[in-house]
Amino acid sequence: MKTPPVPACVLRVALLSGVLSLAPGLHANSDYLKSVKPLLQERCYSCHGGLKQKGGLRLDTAALARKGGESGGVVSKRNDGTFVLLERVSSSDPEERMPPKHEGETFNLAQVQILREWIEAGAPGPADEKPEADPREHWAFRARQRPALPAQRAGEWGRNPVDAFLAREFAREGVVPQREAPPESLLRRLYMDLVGVPPTLEEIAAAEAVPVEQWYAATVERLLGDPRYGQRWGRHWMDIWRYSDWWGLGAQLRNSQKHMWHWRDWIIESLNADTPYDEMIRLMLAADEIAPDDLQKLRATGFLARNWFLFNRNTWMEETVEHVGKGFLGLTFNCAKCHDHKYDPISHTDYYRMRAFFEPYHVRLDVFPGESNLEIDGVPRAYDGLPDAPTFRFVRGEESQPDKSSPLSPAVPAILALGSLKMTPVVLPPTAVEPERRAWVLEAHVGSAKKAVENAVAAMSKAQEKLAAAEKRAADSEIFKQERVRSESPAETGSASIKPATEKAASVPPAASEENALEEARAELRVAECAADLAKAELESVEARAQAMRALWESGAEVGELRAAAVLAERSAAVSKQQQLVADAALRLLRVTAEKRPAVEKAAKTAAEALEKALKKRNDPVESADTYTRLYGAKWTPTRFLSSGKDDPDVPFPKVSTGRRKALAEWVTDARHPLTARVAANHIWARHMGTPLVANTFEFGRKSPAPSQLALLDWLASELVDSGWSMKHLHRLIVNSAAYRLSSTLAGGEASLARDPDNSLWWRRTPLRLEAEVVRDSILALAGELDCTQGGASIPASAQADSKRRSVYFYHSNNERNLFLTTFDVAAVKECYRRDESIVPQQALALTNSKIVHDMAQRIAGLLYASHGPEATPTEESFIRNAYAYVLGIKASAEEVAACSRGMAAWRQSASASEKDASALARDNLVWALLNHNDFVTLR
Amino acid sequence: MGFTGLALGAMLQRDSAANSNLWTPPSGLPHLPAKAKSVIWLFMNGGVSHMESFDPKPMLSKYEGKTIAETPFADVQDPKKLALERLVVPDGNGNQRNKIYPLQVGFKQHGQSGIEVSDWFPHIARNVDKLSIIRSMYTTDSNHGAQTQFHSGRHMVEGSYPTLGAWVHYGLGSLNDNLPSFVSIGTREYWNNKDGHYLGPAHDAVPLRIDPSNPLDFGKPERPFSVHSQEIGLNLVRELNGLRGVEYPKDPALAARVASYELAFRMQQSMPEALDFSKETAETKALYGLEQAHCRDFGSQMLAARRLVERGVRFIQIQHGGGGAGAWDAHGGLKANHSKLALQVDQPIGALLIDLERRGMLEETLVVFATEFGRTPGTQGVDGRDHHIFGFSVWMAGGGLKGGVVHGATDELGFHAVENRHYVTDVHATILSQLGLDSRKLEIPGRKRLEIDHGKPITAIIA
Repeated sequence: MKTPPVPACVLRVALLSGVLSLAPGLHANSDYLKSVKPLLQERCYSCHGGLKQKGGLRLDTAALARKGGESGGVVSKRNDGTFVLLERVSSSDPEERMPPKHEGETFNLAQVQILREWIEAGAPGPADEKPEADPREHWAFRARQRPALPAQRAGEWGRNPVDAFLAREFAREGVVPQREAPPESLLRRLYMDLVGVPPTLEEIAAAEAVPVEQWYAATVERLLGDPRYGQRWGRHWMDIWRYSDWWGLGAQLRNSQKHMWHWRDWIIESLNADTPYDEMIRLMLAADEIAPDDLQKLRATGFLARNWFLFNRNTWMEETVEHVGKGFLGLTFNCAKCHDHKYDPISHTDYYRMRAFFEPYHVRLDVFPGESNLEIDGVPRAYDGLPDAPTFRFVRGEESQPDKSSPLSPAVPAILALGSLKMTPVVLPPTAVEPERRAWVLEAHVGSAKKAVENAVAAMSKAQEKLAAAEKRAADSEIFKQERVRSESPAETGSASIKPATEKAASVPPAASEENALEEARAELRVAECAADLAKAELESVEARAQAMRALWESGAEVGELRAAAVLAERSAAVSKQQQLVADAALRLLRVTAEKRPAVEKAAKTAAEALEKALKKRNDPVESADTYTRLYGAKWTPTRFLSSGKDDPDVPFPKVSTGRRKALAEWVTDARHPLTARVAANHIWARHMGTPLVANTFEFGRKSPAPSQLALLDWLASELVDSGWSMKHLHRLIVNSAAYRLSSTLAGGEASLARDPDNSLWWRRTPLRLEAEVVRDSILALAGELDCTQGGASIPASAQADSKRRSVYFYHSNNERNLFLTTFDVAAVKECYRRDESIVPQQALALTNSKIVHDMAQRIAGLLYASHGPEATPTEESFIRNAYAYVLGIKASAEEVAACSRGMAAWRQSASASEKDASALARDNLVWALLNHNDFVTLR
Repeated sequence: MGFTGLALGAMLQRDSAANSNLWTPPSGLPHLPAKAKSVIWLFMNGGVSHMESFDPKPMLSKYEGKTIAETPFADVQDPKKLALERLVVPDGNGNQRNKIYPLQVGFKQHGQSGIEVSDWFPHIARNVDKLSIIRSMYTTDSNHGAQTQFHSGRHMVEGSYPTLGAWVHYGLGSLNDNLPSFVSIGTREYWNNKDGHYLGPAHDAVPLRIDPSNPLDFGKPERPFSVHSQEIGLNLVRELNGLRGVEYPKDPALAARVASYELAFRMQQSMPEALDFSKETAETKALYGLEQAHCRDFGSQMLAARRLVERGVRFIQIQHGGGGAGAWDAHGGLKANHSKLALQVDQPIGALLIDLERRGMLEETLVVFATEFGRTPGTQGVDGRDHHIFGFSVWMAGGGLKGGVVHGATDELGFHAVENRHYVTDVHATILSQLGLDSRKLEIPGRKRLEIDHGKPITAIIA
């Protein structure tokens, strides 16, 4: 438990008089390195160390502490027997006390005593103590140099330069690389890693037929060219870039955007095309300024649109700054939101200057070819809607306390500047400012209007059928009534056994219900007819407006008669709309309860009056000032920052974009940037090799010590940049290395294990727990059921149970995540720079009990059984061996075969007579067991 | 990061830690002597009126219909005091309401302690001598994001942070090998539907339904598969995994996977038993109100909670009225709303306290009754109260806390917490300290926690 803080006034008196007596048991350890230095480091170094030297004082070595600052010594005894440092850390005056208010935790009694004992002993420290380095010297902030390749002797372990770097460390640390993994493991590794599904039986057989050297490199090439590569690696980058479908409360959009999947498709397509990484970053940050008229590329700005938040601009901006920093640069800008960064040279102001790059941007949906209804489709994208929005530093990070005295312009932290940023405003093409001018937009409106007509006409036919049925029932009921009248006159028939016309008619008082139904069906048809009329009028209106708009763009001015036609068509559509409302009210009147009748009557009256007005308006002459409603090419996504209970005022589409984000993107992707390529290379390495070179993938600042394989990281980063930022180039280098092909076993590696228990030198492969998507996709793929179709809207939760699509296409938001995938640590949408690899009982339950595993196990067993050809009945042993190879990528040992055989026998025995073929059941169950094997969810 | 949530947990972690200087997760042992072993966390979603539950304010009835400015307590609206509020989802609610709304229910003194409790909670009132009532809570989000704030200590705009249950799960090993040690019952809105966050999903509560036939997700085969067939299969899987150990010796993940399957199988077997009330006496069932339609659901949850604690489940998180804003969100019709909801929870909670005590379990079980905020002293509309963050009540019982005490106080109107004010993390700190955990020792690298995240134990209520 925390020691309570010292009441400051008491302490001050005590210290000044030098008679502080401690409670028993509170004897501090005065060992400098163990007790004092960590305290100073935590509380003082950020202002009195390598990063800053406030008051000329440094405390990062004992010697520097003894030296003192501009105003003299801090650990030397003054005449009154006190010490400056002790006085400052225990002062009751908040203006005096160190660390200053909001800058760090106050020293408590025990901690002050630790300092006191050290100071009274003369503030000793080791002679060879090194001060903190200049932040510019931090490994990740220094310019990246292409390292020289370590010399490799012929015959030495290794296949390519990746191995040369590793081998140098092996030799230095005295570890020996493990043997190469068996070919079947390598094949499975390549498939799972590069395309996210295991090889097929044919692919396994083809590989088995020849030595590994004959297929390995070719398989790498084939898989890197496979469109499933983009689906597999797209998901990795979607983790890092925080992909999320929209979410909110019920139907209200609160976070991210509708149709965010366009961004997902852009990611997958870009990876398949090996679009350079730097180009991808530039487009994600600023496609609207780089390619303002290219809707395909504009999809990239989903990266920014995803941060949209209905209620609070500040939250939105904070997320943007934080994750641009962490995702692309490995910098924790977020730590400088309230005060200067404690470890890195990022000032409080720098944080807001970074925000200023994003301050103008807003989000809109652009019409996508073929559909004008933005509820159905549209591309979410960023644009500079607020070019003049000022950025202020928030005092202590509080949005309620902006420092309005000095608006901040965009800039990057000085230490990382690469010359001055070129911030040139971008004059946007007319099609970006007026997106309705895009070739497909008017067409999309006409197309959608035509579709609406089709739907309305179809609905009308349905209503006609319904009416016809109601009329028939009423007619039947009329007959029934007459017959009943007859039956009720015993004198006439002498019998009461007349069958009612219909069952229903027998149970309900016929006359009233049939008449009502008839009347309702007529009213419904009237509504449907009006709806069809409206759809047709809308189509005419859309066509007339489209024509007028085209003419306007062609001639540069409104063409009088076309404008008039558009105005009139729109008025006609307005009449149709009101007619529909009148019909609708009439229908509601038939259905309403007595209690609610007055309200509906009132609505009917209003609708009738509005119709009158619309009719009158339609007949008015078209004046020169009359205009028609332009067909839109995009709509901004309205926010509710103002708490007015309704949408905020529109944010327009300006003609000029500020060029801020383009400038930022150019800085981030500058080949000289010390961080960008290193961060990307580290991510790619981590996903191939299981663990990253730099342990914390989003933190390359001073908290992150230089990785032991810095030269390898720098070499990979250089290769990335020099190959034209080709990610596939980096994949090739890594997966073709000998290191990638090592076995993950510890057997025979005892000596290496003792020297490097965490495998930080990669002397063996680190086994991986497969990601959630790979687990599900593999189960389906083994059964031959996986649907690898590319692209399209996300599969909603309701359709997922029956869907065979790849998991990357499942709807995935903060609110809605597939349960099976969640069990296997699917990405959290708010932040996921690395997946967790948990091992929990819920995973066992999902794999033992879920429908998908049971159903697919059966199919996989059937597929394996059939693979032996129609003429041959496989022996049990060959079935088992095949199943092992196919499901697990393992050559089964004799013991494993025997164990499986025993299991199958037990299942056969337990099968009841009513169950299907006991042998088939045993095979299904065996596959089920292998899907539950540790090595199914593990990449060895 | 590596493996988290290892089924073999502490043991494996200790083994690998021995060889390296790397940071390692907690050992699963308490840092300090523990006084409580389990927590039952009852959360009333929507915001319970503190004045009409555990902090009666007769002044409201005295000044009925007056504006706050017309009462002698006008200073409660001092803008400096109101600056505490930090709204994120403005929607017309979460505003100050100026016209005093009288108390909608009577209240009486109860027990030896003579603490006043509203008449809507007679069963809890009968147990008042077991309670430590804290009448001086405050929070900062005046909309329902305060639900997640109460669980994690962080305002919604700051992102998502681990909840108290996740910290407990992370810090302490399981008491039981057959059941998950952190479970969640009831609906949770999206801002509060996960627990682990940066600690990882392995520390999310396991969702539990009080239905012995289907208590857990994937809790039974979704296709016909007999227990016997499953046993044959799981024995085979264990054997095959074991055989892999020949080629891959000392693989901690393999060992953990094997253990996780054993736990899963036991969970699947044990959970239905834990939720099967057939062996409970008629008296017990009646005590929890299982025969009464209005409190059967919540009564079943309370009885299940007791049974789970008996079986060593560490943290049982129960949400009442969850989903959307939360059922207790009485912007209008407060009397009808609160009287109805109180009827659902009061008898079952009273029963839980009695039952735990008579079985000698209350000593080691900490029961918490909490809500995201209180409600305004002023009226909203004609008969409701709005959200109120400046002062509200929670109570805790058992687990080494004092009984029959009131700690802290609001002003005469119930507006501001004025005595011994506590932010929500002080409740967390109190619970952690009773469980023997030091939250500072649970910090993980790269995730600096703030002073306010840790909170301070409310020592005045610790026995």
